Amino acid sequence: MSRDEREPYDTGHEPYGTGREPYETGREPYEAGAGDGPVRVLVVDDHPMWRDGVARDLAEAGFAVVGTAGDGAQALRVVAATRPQVVLLDLNLPGLSGAELIARLCALPLRVLVLSASGERQDVLDAMKAGATGYLVKSARLEDLVAAVRATAAGEAVFTPGLAGLVLGEYRKLAAAGPEPDTPRLTARETEVLRLVAKGLTYPEIAERLVLSPRTVQNHVRNTLTKLQLRNKAQLVRYALEQGLDE
Amino acid sequence: MVAQMWRATALFRLVTLVYAAVLILRHRHGYAHPPGGLLALAVMAGWTALATVVYARPAPRRRWFVAADVLVAVALVLGTRWVDTDFHIDHGAPTLPVSWAAASVLASAVSGGPWAGLAGGAVVSAADVAERTTLAPNTFNGVVLLLITGVVGGYVVRLGVRAETAVDRVARLEAATAERERIAREVHDSVLQVLALMSRKGRELGGEAGELGRLAGEGEAALRGLVATAPATASREVDLRGLLEPYAGGRVTLSCPADPVPLPSVAARAMAAAVGAALDNVRRHAGADASGWVLVEDEGAVVTVTVRDDGTGFAADRLARAVEEGRLGVAQSIVGRMRAAGGAAEVTSSPGRGTEVELRVTR
Repeated sequence: MSRDEREPYDTGHEPYGTGREPYETGREPYEAGAGDGPVRVLVVDDHPMWRDGVARDLAEAGFAVVGTAGDGAQALRVVAATRPQVVLLDLNLPGLSGAELIARLCALPLRVLVLSASGERQDVLDAMKAGATGYLVKSARLEDLVAAVRATAAGEAVFTPGLAGLVLGEYRKLAAAGPEPDTPRLTARETEVLRLVAKGLTYPEIAERLVLSPRTVQNHVRNTLTKLQLRNKAQLVRYALEQGLDE
Repeated sequence: MVAQMWRATALFRLVTLVYAAVLILRHRHGYAHPPGGLLALAVMAGWTALATVVYARPAPRRRWFVAADVLVAVALVLGTRWVDTDFHIDHGAPTLPVSWAAASVLASAVSGGPWAGLAGGAVVSAADVAERTTLAPNTFNGVVLLLITGVVGGYVVRLGVRAETAVDRVARLEAATAERERIAREVHDSVLQVLALMSRKGRELGGEAGELGRLAGEGEAALRGLVATAPATASREVDLRGLLEPYAGGRVTLSCPADPVPLPSVAARAMAAAVGAALDNVRRHAGADASGWVLVEDEGAVVTVTVRDDGTGFAADRLARAVEEGRLGVAQSIVGRMRAAGGAAEVTSSPGRGTEVELRVTR
């Protein structure tokens, strides 16, 4: 794709340089990209009015909105061409399921922030297990959205209390299912932190209450998600191997 | 299920008719009145045909026919004394209808349940016993079998009908759930999106648009709660999440596991009522800007619901003082409710740091 074909919100900023294969920067791309200028965002939503409104808001807030897409297939094409750092993704898209799309997106060096009107808890949980690192409801205020995109680009996990409740529930379910060797478990501290997130405390408030640094709190939250995602990936690999061996 | 049982009864009647026919035709030369045996066989064949037709029809009132059925069986059993010789009968010869008589017992059971089955069995057994002068072990076995047939047959039918009703209810519930999910998806995809957008844009614009935005936001929350409410399950257990969903929205955030949290209806309702009372308290006492969070945790043996607010809070001894002063508000509505349902509640607070109410129920 040439520069002329780029989506309208592109600021022209090109953090990865030109003439190279995409993503081959030889560096950890997030850390490298995050400091290099405005965060590159792709907005994926099948609702045109919403999509354009959010894209405009984010552009005004100083992000480089490198494109928009209305469905999963289009999102994958645009991602390949525009290399966003953050994909802001609606879960209810036509075609590919949210979790499937996220799994494919997360094979690329980018982060997925789910922004959904869907209250379907299982959908949200599946999306996070598939690799999304943040979740926000669509009724969130613009300043929260801006902060969430920024945090996602910086590699932080963006949790709502609702998401913390879902993740807690998932770990309890895994624990109840029986002691498999590779079942991820929460440490006592992680459980404590997640419960406080679920009860509506902010990271700084939790840090104060538990006498930790906000950074440590953030790491604990992030870890709870990473463990679930690793297990998800391991299960997919095992499934693929089993299918292969049976044939 | 009942229709199947009637068909089974008809089949039983036919098979036993063949058996009785074989015995009568083979033994008729030894009978005191051979034509009587053939007459009995003709009656059985005719009655079998009639009963098969009558029972196949969906008639609610066929009690009189069942009674007639039993009487025909009784008459044939008693008629054995007239057809066969005393010598044969006293030496354990079977009755004319043999096991065909049991078909009428089965019919009683299918039409009226275990008690009717038992009654039918008792009447035919009485005829069986009266037909003989001595109670041979054979006869005794037959009597026991007849009674068991009546009771068990009736019980199985009743069980089947119950299972059928349950399956029916589950099917209806499933259909309702599917439809509900479809509507929820539609609403999520369209109405909620627009309301969320209005809410956000309105708040940014401020002024009158801000007020409209706030209303749109409340509408969105209410609608979200409505479409997310789980339907009542078929059993006496309910999903606690469904009962708490209506409280979410506005300044209240609900966090739950992705899977249902089933609780006995009584405990779940007590918990939901206690959550309602705790949130009422937040609205009334925590201050105008206070938000509330409700966290549902299912730990297997224990279900915990925590209600937290970021309001003004209160000194630790105020609750105890309120109870001493005879103001029972929180103690009554939250702690009392939970205790009555076999659970527990704990309230912690400190000035300026909000209040936390932890409700617990053991499964």
